[in-house]
Amino acid sequence: MRRLVTVAEMTLRELARRRGVLLLLLLMPLVFWMIRRDTYVGQSIRALLLGISWAVSTAALFATSAARELEPRLRLAGYRPHHLYLGRMLGLWALGLAVSVPFFLLTVFDAANLRYAGIAVAMLCCVAVAAPFGMLIGALLPRELEGTLLLLTVVAMQMLLDPASPGARLTPFWSSREIATWAVDHTDGGYLNRGLLHATLVTVLLIVTVAGVFGVRLRRRRHLHHAPLT
Amino acid sequence: MDADRRGQWLRGVLDLCVLALLRDGESYGYELAQALDVAGVGPIQGGTLYPVLLRLQRTGLVTAQWREGGSGPARKYYQLTDDGRAALHHGGTAWLAFVAPVTDIVTKGVDG
Amino acid sequence: MNADEWLRVFAAELHQRRVAADAARHVVAEAATHLREGGGDPWLVFGPPQAYAATIVESIGTVPGPRPGPVRLDARGITKRYGRRTVLRDAALTVRAGQIAAVVGANGCGKSTFLRICAGLVSPDAGEVTVSGRLGFCPQQGGTADFLLPDEHFVLVGAGQGVAREPARRAGRAAARQLGWDAQGDVLARHLSGGTRQKLNLTMSTLAEPDVLLLDEPYQGFDQGSYVNLWDQLIRLRDAGRAIVVVTHLLNQLDRVDVVLDLTPAHQGGHS
Repeated sequence: MRRLVTVAEMTLRELARRRGVLLLLLLMPLVFWMIRRDTYVGQSIRALLLGISWAVSTAALFATSAARELEPRLRLAGYRPHHLYLGRMLGLWALGLAVSVPFFLLTVFDAANLRYAGIAVAMLCCVAVAAPFGMLIGALLPRELEGTLLLLTVVAMQMLLDPASPGARLTPFWSSREIATWAVDHTDGGYLNRGLLHATLVTVLLIVTVAGVFGVRLRRRRHLHHAPLT
Repeated sequence: MDADRRGQWLRGVLDLCVLALLRDGESYGYELAQALDVAGVGPIQGGTLYPVLLRLQRTGLVTAQWREGGSGPARKYYQLTDDGRAALHHGGTAWLAFVAPVTDIVTKGVDG
Repeated sequence: MNADEWLRVFAAELHQRRVAADAARHVVAEAATHLREGGGDPWLVFGPPQAYAATIVESIGTVPGPRPGPVRLDARGITKRYGRRTVLRDAALTVRAGQIAAVVGANGCGKSTFLRICAGLVSPDAGEVTVSGRLGFCPQQGGTADFLLPDEHFVLVGAGQGVAREPARRAGRAAARQLGWDAQGDVLARHLSGGTRQKLNLTMSTLAEPDVLLLDEPYQGFDQGSYVNLWDQLIRLRDAGRAIVVVTHLLNQLDRVDVVLDLTPAHQGGHS
């Protein structure tokens, strides 16, 4: 437990010190929201959710890339792979929640007649999915730039795809969009349920994949044998 | 004077000089070096002196302890032991017995 | 070289010549006192540190070196190919407790790869490595976290062994002092100079008290004094029974090591 919490804490400390990056990350949801605000509240909230997803997954990408050389030595220092990826994920989730709170308050004060609980749940879904998603990209792509471009592509795709099209369901942040529709347009509960199911499935799938990737990368190699100390 | 030659002589007798200087009380490296210089033996470098002190300490002719001086830093003070006193007596006598004829011979050579 | 540096080099030389630690400390302190009182250039007063250390050894003798202990690292038949290029062919190295091994060879001959294979970070195409006890690894670069303080690095590494914060911090600072570095400052790792960062890197690898310590060119960015401190530290660890492997391209260190593995093609295989 100490190991898990320590990794989470250090992830948070590192990110909290990247002030410039953090500010830019927060700027994106804000700008998304402002641009759409005049047209239609649903649009602005969807843009906001997408912005949060983008911000958290980018932070996750950076955190994962930065730890690339550090993790093997932490593994040697007594950490198991799950301490490293789960600890990091916990830290990122905490960051995501912290980022979401002001945006949530923004919607509460700015827009009337919404299902605010739905907005909160949608934000939770964004954060839940974004952390492992960014980590996975960070683990698979060696450089931050490539990862950032890939994330940008996903976010743009998410924004442009018609949510009703079957392909849209394959995008990671579809859940938040469904739940937001439920919260803003007061649609039937099917939207909420679909969204929750999607978010849960995607999150679990991503965590399992992240676990797999980290497990392989930080595996105990077969050529290395440990003999007892004599 | 030929520094090499002086160095050779010193090597043979520096331990006796140190023992003799310690006869009347303890002292430390730098003070010993200055005392030797003042006595006219010439400047003795630390690199020559300390190995001799260490050898004397190892063979039990002197003991040493670190102590704060009255003023200034801690220093390693050397004291003569009974063995050291005996060695000084013994070695000193032998040295005098050796230099007396040497001085005689060389004096004749120089004067002549 | 000023007086302090002369003294550091002298101390390291005594240590390497296996003068008992206590005696060495006294001799160095005495020389320091002498220089303080008399002034003067240590090179004139005592001569070259190496030569003076040799004279001291003649005066007071040395402690017998501890006999090498049981085998701690045994790498055999290590072969690694990148595409068609064979980087390592049948490389072997055995290091016992209380030994330092140097892995040398031209640039690109696979020194780092060999070390990473020993650390279990890279898989070889053939060959086996057996390690007894805990393994510590100091990568050439990137082993630190840019946005963490040195103390936080110590806490992070310590937690891996279940060490609580305060003891981990203390242990880290103590290990840093051995390298002549005061790690107490509030400076992020990314603002540390290259050499200091490398000290952090090194400190992290010794913190978990590994039985086998693997170091990949651990002295980059070091000045002369830090370099001496490093070897001092390595020899202390060796004498404490650790097995150490150092990847290096500096040949003047070879007289201080017990085993040399030259990975230049055509002389692979460890020899003493």
